[in-house]
Amino acid sequence: MADEVTVYALSTCPWCRKTKQWFADSKIEFEAIDVDTLPDSQQDEVADKAYALSGGRRFPVVVINGEVIVGFNPEKFLEHLQGAGW
Amino acid sequence: MGTAERKESLRYLYDKVVDPLGFKFTPDAALAEELLEQEVKLEQDLGAPYCPCQMRSRVRGEDMRIVCPCIPFHRAHFDKMKRCWCGLFVHKDVTDPDSLPQFPPDEE
Amino acid sequence: MSGPRWVPTIDDAKVRDGACVPVYPKGVGVLLVRVDGKLHAVANKCVHMACPLEGGKLEGATLTCPCHDWRFDVRSGEFLDAPELRIATFATKVEDGKVLVELKGA
Ligand code: SF4
Ligand code: FES
Repeated sequence: MADEVTVYALSTCPWCRKTKQWFADSKIEFEAIDVDTLPDSQQDEVADKAYALSGGRRFPVVVINGEVIVGFNPEKFLEHLQGAGW
Repeated sequence: MGTAERKESLRYLYDKVVDPLGFKFTPDAALAEELLEQEVKLEQDLGAPYCPCQMRSRVRGEDMRIVCPCIPFHRAHFDKMKRCWCGLFVHKDVTDPDSLPQFPPDEE
Repeated sequence: MSGPRWVPTIDDAKVRDGACVPVYPKGVGVLLVRVDGKLHAVANKCVHMACPLEGGKLEGATLTCPCHDWRFDVRSGEFLDAPELRIATFATKVEDGKVLVELKGA
């Protein structure tokens, strides 16, 4: 079964960049959303979703198969990934 | 003031703030450059060097707590991580910043 | 020159209760603040990013920097969210109706 991964990020945040890079390098498909560059009409809604998931305003917020990991933390990413090879 | 000059002045100003709090600039020079660059851009666009790794609200009182260096407002959490959320600052005894993961305040 | 030096500034009567008045003894930026009748003198420069504190909001003895809202106790100079950080404080006295500010080693 393929893992379902969403990365909520800020365009200004190096750890968000490293998180996306880590998933790309690991050949895991993911959806990435830069909250700060969304058009105003969508920003509040998406940001609120990320805050509700993470309990704060820190990024990145990574959702792997429904589990939320806040911060760049490959060990935790691996714990929650079930796809082939892990 | 150009971006390079402003980066240098932020370095100077921040150093005086974080030193008494037990922190120093990360030894990861590339990371520090990237973060300061982003902060200068945020300051140019939004009026304050906001945290590049935390999102602003529309409430001034909240946003002022994520202007860099935000260590005074998140101290227990950052002391536990031995770094600030972005990793621009680390505890003075840290020599290998890559060994310090990011984790939220309610986790060990 | 060395040692403490008392430098005259403005008339004591010019600093009303609850007011912040910037003065510049020997060019040093000092903020005179009166709280409950008592006069205090602090550096007119925030420890965060060096903004002048004079446009800040004074509530009781708490002065909030106009730039990013860092809060200081004007009696001790202490930053309320981390006591390791403080703005400098200066001794004051009043002679012949004038406020004198003590500059150490100036
Ligand atoms: S987390 Fe670090 S870089 Fe970000 S605002 Fe706070 S002190 Fe500055
Ligand atoms: S300069 Fe005073 S709070 Fe930032």
